[in-house]
Amino acid sequence: MGIAETYTRGRQFAVARPGSVLLALVGIILLYDLLSGLATGQTSFSSVGSLVWDGLMRGLVIGLAGIGLSMTYSILNFANFAHGDFITAGAFSGWATTYLVAGLGRADVGALLLVGAGGSVFGGTLGIGVTGTPLAVAAGALVAGVATVVLALGIDRLVFKPIRDEDGITLLITSVGVAFALRYLMQFVFGSSVRGTTSQPPSISLYFVDGAVRINAHDIAVVVVAGGLMLAVHLLLQMTKLGKAMRAMADNEDLAQITGIPTERVVRSVWVIGGGLTGVAGYMFILWKGTLGFNDGWLLLLLIFAAVILGGIGSIYGAIVGGLAIGLTASVSVIWIPSAFARAAAFAVMIVLLLVKPEGIFSGRSTA
Amino acid sequence: MSADTTGGADGDGAAVSRETIPERGDQSLLEVRDLDAGYGDLQILTDVDMDVADGEYVTIVGPNGAGKSTVMKSVFGLTTHMGGTVTFEDEDITGLRPEEIIHEGIGYVPQNHNVFASLTVRENLEMGAYILDEVPQDALDAVFDRFPILEERQTQKAGTMSGGQQQMLAMGRALMLDPSLLLLDEPSAGLAPDLVDDMFDRIDAINDDGTAILMVEQNAKEALRRCDRGYVLANGQNRYMDDGDVLLNDEQVRQDFLGG
Repeated sequence: MGIAETYTRGRQFAVARPGSVLLALVGIILLYDLLSGLATGQTSFSSVGSLVWDGLMRGLVIGLAGIGLSMTYSILNFANFAHGDFITAGAFSGWATTYLVAGLGRADVGALLLVGAGGSVFGGTLGIGVTGTPLAVAAGALVAGVATVVLALGIDRLVFKPIRDEDGITLLITSVGVAFALRYLMQFVFGSSVRGTTSQPPSISLYFVDGAVRINAHDIAVVVVAGGLMLAVHLLLQMTKLGKAMRAMADNEDLAQITGIPTERVVRSVWVIGGGLTGVAGYMFILWKGTLGFNDGWLLLLLIFAAVILGGIGSIYGAIVGGLAIGLTASVSVIWIPSAFARAAAFAVMIVLLLVKPEGIFSGRSTA
Repeated sequence: MSADTTGGADGDGAAVSRETIPERGDQSLLEVRDLDAGYGDLQILTDVDMDVADGEYVTIVGPNGAGKSTVMKSVFGLTTHMGGTVTFEDEDITGLRPEEIIHEGIGYVPQNHNVFASLTVRENLEMGAYILDEVPQDALDAVFDRFPILEERQTQKAGTMSGGQQQMLAMGRALMLDPSLLLLDEPSAGLAPDLVDDMFDRIDAINDDGTAILMVEQNAKEALRRCDRGYVLANGQNRYMDDGDVLLNDEQVRQDFLGG
């Protein structure tokens, strides 16, 4: 007993899992750096709080958008690279609706429908926001969801259904093609400029130790919508017949077929639910960050992939947890490194965690 | 209805009766005629004939690669159909898809991966009745009566149960629609030796309650002892067909297929 045994066990662990030990060391160094920064006043508690809050918002958007990707992965057995452009498509359709509802009569309809392409209309000028134009925002989020469902079903019918029985690599490469086609179609229609979409939302400052953490109305909207939809997906999967059939199919497609589960209909439901969530996630992403460009979904997709792989690809709970982890990492890492490397830090965390736990946080492919 | 084709492998003619009429009433439930089937371009079965009467217990035995499981998969629409017919309750079900066949009253328990591992026991049983609007309470109760362990373990994930329990769950799932024919692929495979007898007893009980059974078994002697009638398959063709006891005591069958 005692020190000798503790030492032996520690040594065995260090030899067996050098990655874990290294990871723990890096964690301790970073934590020490943070704590010493806080102690000497170089880093303020409130700035750390703001970064954590920012990371949570980013994480909720990534998690919400990741659910659809994880669903298609677990049930259709392929990584859908067009997912990012589904996000962008949802965002453009939703924001066109928001502009139209908010700006009808105040600006040219064509300019509104093109979401102010070429600087013809500005979201800020229209006073767009959850508090300023709640109806326009609600209508936009709804249309974003519906339009993405229609798009996902259409693309499935045209492209993915005919090659459903091919292997995952064929489907993946096809989806890359779909992604490019969609993205440049949207660039052609809406232009390549990045536009501001919202006016400054009202915010409250919460006192936090040595300063304030600002929380604005759009943050609250993201929390409510993403949280509500995540809860709804959870209830759907656990309580409803369709949800159980989706989990059954993710688990064992051959057996699902033998059991009499109408697999094609379940696949359609996956596109409907996954597409809807993806569209709304795209809309909320733009509402939260306040700018919209044709590359937004594609750039977010890389973080989403990191999140769902980290969480255990195929598990929707993994997508949510992975999204939060990646979002927090991308935001909080600027405490230690220049913000230009924030994205790289998110991927570094993914790679390191996968080295330690290769199957992801939730070992995947179960949707549960 | 001669159900077998050729004689012994070396052609010296085993003395096996060729004209055995199904025992219980001659009410034919399943009729397989001249079935050719396989996977993709690969043909496994050639001119296979097979009958199961209402409430009958039939086993298929034969060496590895004889096409035993393929017969069963073909009945359930899981192979490439290349010729012949499958008739169930006087209805032609040749070429129907599994999700259509399950409506006809045939249940199928595959050999491997036959439960949804990440779903609970109860959810597995609910999936068994997916094609119904509601989970039939009487069928659920009947399954729980038959396999009390499943009622105890309702909320447990199927993947965490033992092999024998998973096999019971797989059968329970297939029984949720109260099928008139149950197809069982190697139900004793992978079970601990002391559980094998128990499994065969349970299959007897299912059959006693009126469900016809078509079973593929590696454990050929025990299967033939238990069943009403047996088919010996070799190289994707019928070889012998007779009462289980008769096959069991036939010198040629014993030598060629039952290891002496």
